Amino acid sequence: MKLLPIIYLGYMFVSIFFLFLYLLLFMNNKKTLFDSPKTRKKYKVSVLIPAYNEKDTIKETINAVFGIDYPLKEVIIINDGSTDNTKKIVGELLKKYPKLKLINKKNTGKGDSLNRGIEIAKGELFVVVDADSYPAKDSFKKLVGFFDNEKVGAATCIFIPRNNKTFFEKLQDVEYHVIAFTRKLLGYVDAIYVTPGPLAMYRKSVLEEIGGFDSKNMTEDIEIAWRLTKAGYRREMCLDTYATTTVPKKFKPWYRQRRRWNMGGLQCILKYKKDFFKRGMLGFFILPFFTLQLFLGLVGLSIFFYLLIRRIISNYLLITYSIPVGVPILTMDSVFVTPSFLNYLGIILFVAGFVFTILILSVMKSGVLKRQSMFNFLAYFLIYLSTYPFIMITAIYNFIKKNYTWG
Amino acid sequence: MIKNQKYIFLYALLLTIVVFNLGIFMGYMLEASRVGKINTFYLNAEMQLLDQITQKGALEVLDLNCDLLVEENIKFGDNIFQEALQIQKYEEANRINSEIIFQHKRFDLLRTLFWINSITIKQKCNSQYHNVVYFYKYNEPSLEQESKQRFFSNLLREIKEKRGDQVMLIPIAADNDLPSINLLVEKYGINELPVILIDEKTKVTEIKSMEELEKYLV
Repeated sequence: MKLLPIIYLGYMFVSIFFLFLYLLLFMNNKKTLFDSPKTRKKYKVSVLIPAYNEKDTIKETINAVFGIDYPLKEVIIINDGSTDNTKKIVGELLKKYPKLKLINKKNTGKGDSLNRGIEIAKGELFVVVDADSYPAKDSFKKLVGFFDNEKVGAATCIFIPRNNKTFFEKLQDVEYHVIAFTRKLLGYVDAIYVTPGPLAMYRKSVLEEIGGFDSKNMTEDIEIAWRLTKAGYRREMCLDTYATTTVPKKFKPWYRQRRRWNMGGLQCILKYKKDFFKRGMLGFFILPFFTLQLFLGLVGLSIFFYLLIRRIISNYLLITYSIPVGVPILTMDSVFVTPSFLNYLGIILFVAGFVFTILILSVMKSGVLKRQSMFNFLAYFLIYLSTYPFIMITAIYNFIKKNYTWG
Repeated sequence: MIKNQKYIFLYALLLTIVVFNLGIFMGYMLEASRVGKINTFYLNAEMQLLDQITQKGALEVLDLNCDLLVEENIKFGDNIFQEALQIQKYEEANRINSEIIFQHKRFDLLRTLFWINSITIKQKCNSQYHNVVYFYKYNEPSLEQESKQRFFSNLLREIKEKRGDQVMLIPIAADNDLPSINLLVEKYGINELPVILIDEKTKVTEIKSMEELEKYLV
């Protein structure tokens, strides 16, 4: 057996495993997917909103936070050295909202801003909200219940793109829902690997115990989830509430965002490399999962380019031989390809993955399935997901070059 | 309902192993059925060739109709050419079943035997058809050889379509380490692949124009 079919089979094995893992988690927990535990405790909740040049969105974010149906201890805006009107806009809202606080500091990054916020936050719990995200009214009420379990360090929810009109935004809408659902499923095996920036609630004492956010990491929300895992604290996911967030409208900012996510992931892998296969979900699932994604992406892309270049050269040579002699380059035989069993397996796997995705989107309460067309789903599967390895390559390149720009 | 959620990893792994192996098994069955078809092709071809050889033997001792023998030979040549194309498709789609390689070798030997028989019939019956033997590299051809073989293959198909019965097209893999083929390769001084051997006289490795090749087929 040649090397390439073995590699393809390896990919198929991994894909089938994850498909079964998600399917079993889904079947095993379908009755509790949308549960959010009720609490009798009255947690004091602070809100931290780090902001860097957020003049377009900060006002609406603050209004959304104050519109939440849960009593808030305070809302702290950490102005991370904005050069636009962010400071002025927040300043104007200080009178309107007495619980609103503004900290101005030099631009040192999101992680450091959050640590400053933790230092002054008075709540037992604090919620990180991105300055371009808008929590649903019931979001805090649905999340606090998780913290009755002393082992819970963080909880998060679904994120729905606020702007989902264009084709590109709609693809991100599908992606955000798929990610949210799989995150919920991974939560059942304590394998949530990120508590994303748009909205995540944390237990303050736990964050203080583990040393706060890593100010050097480009994805402090991934890193903190890994550190919580390592320290033995659970991260929970709630499908019963949501926050809306602004997603990139154009390719370039989207690409930069994704590159940053990948670079942050690489930073985390390097930081926690000694924890590989050590006791706990970090060593046995999260780290191998991230590394496997990286490895499969790189190998897949290398094979793709190898085959592409080989095909280009081969066709070029064929053309140079054929044209002067007047021999056809394409024949009916070359059009009708006899499929190998790997082709059949690939199609079965694609259909299974596609059907499972439609199934999980159909149970989502946000009505994402109604907003989307079959064409969008196919484009998501065939085009959108195919871009991931390419972004990973550029992320690795930038990571090696130490080009840690936010985007 | 699985009570300990962590066991789900194990269940998923077990299910994956089962489904994956089932997939491999199905794949093996698919390829085995294709090998089975090739085997049927082979048995038919072998029977036809034996019939040809018997006819040729009879021709040597009895006064038989030569035209019928030539006609049968051409028909058989056409059949094995079509079968070669089908086998090539199966081979390209073959991934796990190595039996197809042995089938290929058997076909190479059969085609060689057909070629030798064809030479004899041509001489005995004083026929006008041309034996066009296409020697190609079967095992790991270089990118250049692969492209050239695609070109040669398309070219010979064009010639066969154009000239039909006048051309006996016999593709043979020259690098399968079969002693009889090795002997012929040595006899005709074939040092590079692919090569087209026309009427056991002319070796063509470079083709500049269709006319250049056709002049050997006049």
